[in-house]
Amino acid sequence: MRALGDPERVATKENAGNRKGVLGWIDPHGHNLERWAYTFQRITGVAVLLYVLGHLGDTSFFVGGPTGAGPSESSWAFISGIVENSFGHMILVLVVLVVTFHGINGVRLILAEFGVILRKPTAIEYPYKPKGLGATQKYIFVAAVALAFVAAALAWWILFEGPL
Amino acid sequence: MKEFRLLVQRFDPSIGRGPGFSEFRLPLREGMTVLDAILQARDYSDHSIAVRYSCRQASCGSCGMKINGRARLACYTQVQELKTDRVIVQPMDNFPVVKDLVTDLEGFFDMHRALLPHILRSDDAEMENPSAEYLMTPEQLDSIHQFTYCIKCGLCTSSCPTVGTDSLFPGPQALAQAYRYTMDVRDEGGGERFELLDTQHGVFRCHYAGSCSAVCPKGVDPALGIQLLKRHVMSARPPRRKGEGAKVWEKET
Amino acid sequence: MLIQYATAVAAVALVAIHLLLQGVLVPYGTAISFGTVFAAYRNVFSVIFLEALLVVVIVHGFNGVRIILHELRQTVDWSRWVDVGTVLAIVVSVGYGTRTILLAVLTGAPA
Repeated sequence: MRALGDPERVATKENAGNRKGVLGWIDPHGHNLERWAYTFQRITGVAVLLYVLGHLGDTSFFVGGPTGAGPSESSWAFISGIVENSFGHMILVLVVLVVTFHGINGVRLILAEFGVILRKPTAIEYPYKPKGLGATQKYIFVAAVALAFVAAALAWWILFEGPL
Repeated sequence: MKEFRLLVQRFDPSIGRGPGFSEFRLPLREGMTVLDAILQARDYSDHSIAVRYSCRQASCGSCGMKINGRARLACYTQVQELKTDRVIVQPMDNFPVVKDLVTDLEGFFDMHRALLPHILRSDDAEMENPSAEYLMTPEQLDSIHQFTYCIKCGLCTSSCPTVGTDSLFPGPQALAQAYRYTMDVRDEGGGERFELLDTQHGVFRCHYAGSCSAVCPKGVDPALGIQLLKRHVMSARPPRRKGEGAKVWEKET
Repeated sequence: MLIQYATAVAAVALVAIHLLLQGVLVPYGTAISFGTVFAAYRNVFSVIFLEALLVVVIVHGFNGVRIILHELRQTVDWSRWVDVGTVLAIVVSVGYGTRTILLAVLTGAPA
């Protein structure tokens, strides 16, 4: 029986088994609230990363883009013409929604994984209510979703309704 | 008499029978469990249904399976609590299927053994020839008691999203037992377990999806144990080193 | 995993400040105007802030993807290439972003 840290211990067809695969983590249907949070945390994380890579690209036009040599008003105006429109602003509102959720839910995960918001194990009685899925972290998840929509509403107002 | 439909997923590689469903119409009796239903279908309709079961009272963990999409013990799930007249039983996810509802648990037990699920101490002489019990207060027992309720049914591992893709991840059952033994005041093997847990596919591949605790029929709450274990592993300081385990009870003379 | 936790906490703070500065504390239209951005690159605290934001978000993001990819397959080759790919992606992304910052800071008046 090889140890877990053994680099020679690789996955093979024999030990792969009847695994759910990627659908197992993408589809939280029929599962608990924290499983939904896990799925959304992963999806929003990848979405934010993709946005950030695009953002690195568009902000580089301040210095003339990938082939630029320094600050350039014309280059900045060019990229503004492409991203500063209703569609671009809609994307920004979605990014604010997704980033706010990912951040606050991430804080919930860090607090839980440091055991801060989870109650200590004690003697248990039937019916079993798992302390690992306690109310405190559920409230933080709900707050993450609520604050995400509040932040997105604020972003909507700033970009579409408020004074620019 | 009220009736319900039982759909049993069938799979028998020995006769080339691929995955499919057999359907049975059964009379519903008060208090009937899903296991009762499967055994009735097997005994009176189709003797070839393969199902693993033993105690029929949620003590042995043998009858773990997926019932209407959720991992449950068949003996511990009443047909009426499903609130539907269509009961679908399938083998547990993430375990190789041997036949019909029977899954191969060898890999699961291997992972459990790999994380050293026993008391590790340096006083070999006392362990070989014990003179008395090791001291443990009721409060110290309470802090690990719920994790000792594990019946190794595999429902938690079946529900875990990481186990779904990561074949080197030990799974919630093995990790919860690693916590149980590391936090046992009699144990001095935390350091050895930490070396196995703080690896590429160790305890940090758990992302607190919590499905393990949601499906556990015995209240073990593996998610709690694993998050508390992470804190200890991050500190890189096991609770007790060699020689620091609970002392042997000395009789007053 | 400590890297992921540490960058997460830093990212929450830095991204919150970035969003506040880009539309709440400073009106959005002003914040993205050429002059305001140019002035920001002339402020040492702003430059340090942007570089820190870049490093923290990129490391956190690509490390997260690395974790997801490690869970997908566990062969020795795949694991090695995921680690190499992650480091490369971080170096290239941070490099490109730092290039933007350096060109903005070190080059003179706009063209």
